[in-house]
Amino acid sequence: MTFIDQQVDITTDFEPEEDAPIPTREIRYRRAILLVVAYAVSIAVALGLSAILIAATNHSPHDAFEALYTGSLKTRGAWGRTIEQAGPLLLVALGSVIANRAGVFNIGQEGQVLIGAFAGTLVALKVPGPHHLILVLTLIAAFAGGAAWAGIAAGLNIWRGLNVVITTLLLIFIAQEFVQFAVTRAWFLQQSNALGIASPQSDIIAPGLHMPVIGSPPKFYLQSGFLVALGFTIIVAFLLARTRWGFRLKMLGHNPNAARHAGVSVVAVGGAALLISGGFAGLAGGVLLTSTVFSLQPAMANNVGWEGLLVALVARNRPVAVVFVALFFGALRAGGGFLTTTGVPSYLVDVIQAFMVLATLFPPMFMSWLDRRRVRRAAAPRRVPTTPVPEIAPAR
Amino acid sequence: MGPTGDVSTILSSAVRLSVPLAFAATGEYVAERAGTLNISVEAMMLGGAFFGVWGTSATGSVGGGLLIGVLAGLVVAWVQANLSHRLTANQFVVGLTLNVLLLGLTSFLFETWKLTPHQAGILTIPLLNHIPIVGKPLFVERWPAFLLVLVVPFVWWLVQRSRFGLEVRAVGERPEAADVSGIEVNKRRRQAIYLCGAMAGFGGAYLSVAEVGLFNEGMTAGRGFIAIAAVIFGGWTLRGTILGCFLFGGADALRLALPSLGVTLTPELLIAAPYLLALIAMLFFAQRNRQPAALAQPFVRGV
Amino acid sequence: MSLTGDHAMPTSGEGGIIPPSPAVEMRGITKRFGPVLACDEVDLTVERGVIRGLLGQNGAGKTTLMRMLTGLFPPDSGTIAVDGVEQVITDPLRAANLGIAMVHQHFSLIGALTVWENVTLGESGRVDRQGAINRVEQIAERYGLGINPMSRVEDLSTGARQRVEIVKCLRRDPSVVILDEPTSVLTLNESRVLFSVLRRVVQEEGKAVVLISHKLDEILEASDEVTIMRDGRVVREMRTSDADARILAREMVGRDVTLRSEAAALGLIDEKIASGGLALNLSDAPAHPAVMADTAEMTAPVGVPPSNGERSPTNTRAPVLRLTDVRVAGGAGHPALDGLSLDVSAGEVLGIAGVEGNGQTELGDLLSSLLDIDAGTVAVDGVAIRCGRPGCMLRANIGVIPEDRHNSGCVLSMTVAENLVMSDLNRLAPRRVLSLRKMRKYAARLIHEFEIACPSPDTPMASLSGGNQQKVVLARELSRKRGLDVGAIEYMNNRIRAAADNGVGVLLISAEIEEILAVADRVAVMYRGRIMGEMKRGEVDLERLGLMMGGHAA
Repeated sequence: MTFIDQQVDITTDFEPEEDAPIPTREIRYRRAILLVVAYAVSIAVALGLSAILIAATNHSPHDAFEALYTGSLKTRGAWGRTIEQAGPLLLVALGSVIANRAGVFNIGQEGQVLIGAFAGTLVALKVPGPHHLILVLTLIAAFAGGAAWAGIAAGLNIWRGLNVVITTLLLIFIAQEFVQFAVTRAWFLQQSNALGIASPQSDIIAPGLHMPVIGSPPKFYLQSGFLVALGFTIIVAFLLARTRWGFRLKMLGHNPNAARHAGVSVVAVGGAALLISGGFAGLAGGVLLTSTVFSLQPAMANNVGWEGLLVALVARNRPVAVVFVALFFGALRAGGGFLTTTGVPSYLVDVIQAFMVLATLFPPMFMSWLDRRRVRRAAAPRRVPTTPVPEIAPAR
Repeated sequence: MGPTGDVSTILSSAVRLSVPLAFAATGEYVAERAGTLNISVEAMMLGGAFFGVWGTSATGSVGGGLLIGVLAGLVVAWVQANLSHRLTANQFVVGLTLNVLLLGLTSFLFETWKLTPHQAGILTIPLLNHIPIVGKPLFVERWPAFLLVLVVPFVWWLVQRSRFGLEVRAVGERPEAADVSGIEVNKRRRQAIYLCGAMAGFGGAYLSVAEVGLFNEGMTAGRGFIAIAAVIFGGWTLRGTILGCFLFGGADALRLALPSLGVTLTPELLIAAPYLLALIAMLFFAQRNRQPAALAQPFVRGV
Repeated sequence: MSLTGDHAMPTSGEGGIIPPSPAVEMRGITKRFGPVLACDEVDLTVERGVIRGLLGQNGAGKTTLMRMLTGLFPPDSGTIAVDGVEQVITDPLRAANLGIAMVHQHFSLIGALTVWENVTLGESGRVDRQGAINRVEQIAERYGLGINPMSRVEDLSTGARQRVEIVKCLRRDPSVVILDEPTSVLTLNESRVLFSVLRRVVQEEGKAVVLISHKLDEILEASDEVTIMRDGRVVREMRTSDADARILAREMVGRDVTLRSEAAALGLIDEKIASGGLALNLSDAPAHPAVMADTAEMTAPVGVPPSNGERSPTNTRAPVLRLTDVRVAGGAGHPALDGLSLDVSAGEVLGIAGVEGNGQTELGDLLSSLLDIDAGTVAVDGVAIRCGRPGCMLRANIGVIPEDRHNSGCVLSMTVAENLVMSDLNRLAPRRVLSLRKMRKYAARLIHEFEIACPSPDTPMASLSGGNQQKVVLARELSRKRGLDVGAIEYMNNRIRAAADNGVGVLLISAEIEEILAVADRVAVMYRGRIMGEMKRGEVDLERLGLMMGGHAA
């Protein structure tokens, strides 16, 4: 970067004399209420569109929504299902939050989940030892597996400057084929008594290696996977808000230039963020393995990776909000299973989910439009609030 | 069947598998040259596939179905383009969500509506189809496939020779400089995405209407992502992209044919080949800087 | 050859008709940005067949003036007449239609495209490839600009890219061509080529050329007439043949040599001095347009009496910062820092004067741990530093107040408190966990000390005015323990002096001589990546300074 590139335009770099009005408490309250209203409206629109779609296909929206509700929230057992679905989503989302905050955009979680499950399966099936210990090792291995898979993208970026978004994306499909390969080779992880089963999988992991469940269906039951996720949420929230590392991460995400000037190593901090996000996704895979699926199956990720990423983005990368959004998405997933009883295809859930995500895109854009109108400043050079995609390594 | 017959069959299969890819990838090529990383290609293709079949059912004609497939792709493109490059939503979130939406929507509608699809007829080019080995694969195809012969050169001309293409390329390399020169950056980007939507929609429609003859849930099965891989593998050139498509189609055809030939090659490797090759190509091309410099970077003036 | 657009004037061929009205006549142009008066009743005449040099330091107003001519923004008052007809130039398109064009410092070129594609970019209608190529060749040949229309711009040298910019400018056949510091990226030879092109453009085509520059040699060699601006006003107009380096330097930098050095020696500069029409007041136009900010709040000395004009820096041990023969590659093919050597001792303020673009940014980047040196050494307290690793300078306790505080100095989306602790986390949070209470206390202390106007430490940075944001950056960097600070273009002289009094060595880089003279013990001048010369505060000779800034080793 030479001094030539720093031609600046006088019209965009100037600021006015007066201080911009600092939002008074009243303005802040009003703004918060406006935001809530905006979200409520958007969500209502999304639900409305969904209802229209249901009605247009000659189903009953009432029945459909009722089925969703029954499946996810009505009974205690339903709550259990919701929480069960939410756990892995929350884990993936936590990782995404960390990466997004650092300005690194990892979209490969769907693959990292699988590789995490793979690593966990290796340990679960091949490593002997007392069950509790092995369970913990399984989860650790799952984290490490996901981290390593994301690490490939990190390495490619640092070493060769390859765009993280593209590489993590491509790695998803490679991961899927790799796992498929693993469970269809007898010498690798193929199920020992495979009798030409249509869907290949690995051996089933020992019952002692299942993650504990408190309570049992149809009454309320709580998957410990969710508790693990909650625990990590607290840790991550603390790290981000209260530690030097979290502070540096935020700096990097907001203004890589200033961060560099302040001595933050883009490679170290950004790279770590990417690895950790992969690790969390891998851990989610490990939880899936030890809580619900119990063997390595190529399709086991089941969109947990994609949806976890969306959870983080809908929750605007806030650790606390992530919990609630994850529960919401989990409810949708849980409720989806009940839809078929009403004759409505369960795919509707995906549609509702997509409408929801699209709906939540609007309130922030609306608010920043409002903000810009209220604070009439000549534009100072600042980034518009899309999630930035800077690279880990400084620009070549 | 003798060995040449085998080769010919495999080649036919390869061509057949490549054609939808080629349409979609050509569209994505334009989108990425404009600097947008459009991951909703899958949604565009799937939308084209479903609504193409619905279109043939509704209009009773293949041409009508294909047209409606194109429209479906355009609708998806409209959402992607305007949320990401007029409003300021994150283009990956929008793309991902569209993929989820279209998968759910098309599957949902498929189970709900009854469709009577019509399949496109096979067109045989006389004389040329008797060329040994390549005659049948290249000159005996469902008729929409031959549109590729028109479309690809047109897109090449569009990007390399027309004013629109010059501005698209400028916008993908250095939008600030294009802006200073008086070009409407985001408008060009949106237009590039519309083009991608139309082509990917057609590719999906071709898949369902012409090739398979009906719709299945999720039938595009990730082809949209393979199209993205093809563009990357091709180093963001049209020639490379088409080459990539045929390479990937060939790998797929090979994989399907291998069991009957008695050869065992790791099928998973062949399925993963497009993505592996794209990664390798990126590594190779990183040195030559072929990627549009402003790829995946949203543009807002005054920043 | 015909003229385009609204022009009605005939060409002047070789010694042809002298047209009655000048190409451009600007009268009484005034432009204010907030408190800053960028242009003050400026009159400028641009005649055909003449290369007019526009000389001045940064902040003199020359670039602002030309930007108004090219339609980037309108003047607050005054008139612009083109070919005798008064015009309102609302936007660049209008300016282009009037035949006014500016050669950009290639931020309008796209590397991956070819020369001809770049030249035709922005036009409308079919791409006439052969026509565009021909046109490029024609223009290139006519003006002696050797470029190949088929080459990719990214493969070209900087000089060649400059030529492409010129071709791009000339393709619309403008009658007024403005060049803004064109030779800052060129070698001597390339500059010569450029000047001969300009000469041709002017003589054979009867065009008018405005050459903005701070380099005395350039003005003397290339221009026919020169207008010198200072602090937003035109201070002198003369035929170049009547001028020499000394005269130009003096005008560029200021007339009242004696008065000011005395005042500087007496340490009285921080009070308002109105002498000879020159108010030495920090609320005047600051140096670089990019960091124009509200400096009004910074001027009040707040009752801290200036320390006596003479300060004796502690010279007994190794200088706190020593750069020896430092070389850093620039992006333009020639070095940005070219054998730079300087010393700063504890308790002294070394001011680096010089016009922007002579390596100051690289020096700042180097001391911000962003660049690595290609040759030479950087030593703090006698210990050499391995440059380029993130945070290396910070660990050596060198703090930097960057030029562009927005981009590099602070994170607007964070609070004031967060910005105050940003670069010193290791010291302020030794056990990795941040105590918000401690952070706030620290922030509150700095806010009080530096008089930053904000309601609380938790105020978002973005809602502060520019001046206060600068104070935050300053407060942060000046509070480093025993740190060494690199200053930016605006500063609070009291704060800096106080820091120096505490034994901090200060390196102040500025393009405004007055600012430097207000605080510095020694002044060195930077030109093309090296130090031209230096002088002690009491011996400051502005003429000599001006000469050095213009490239003359004195």
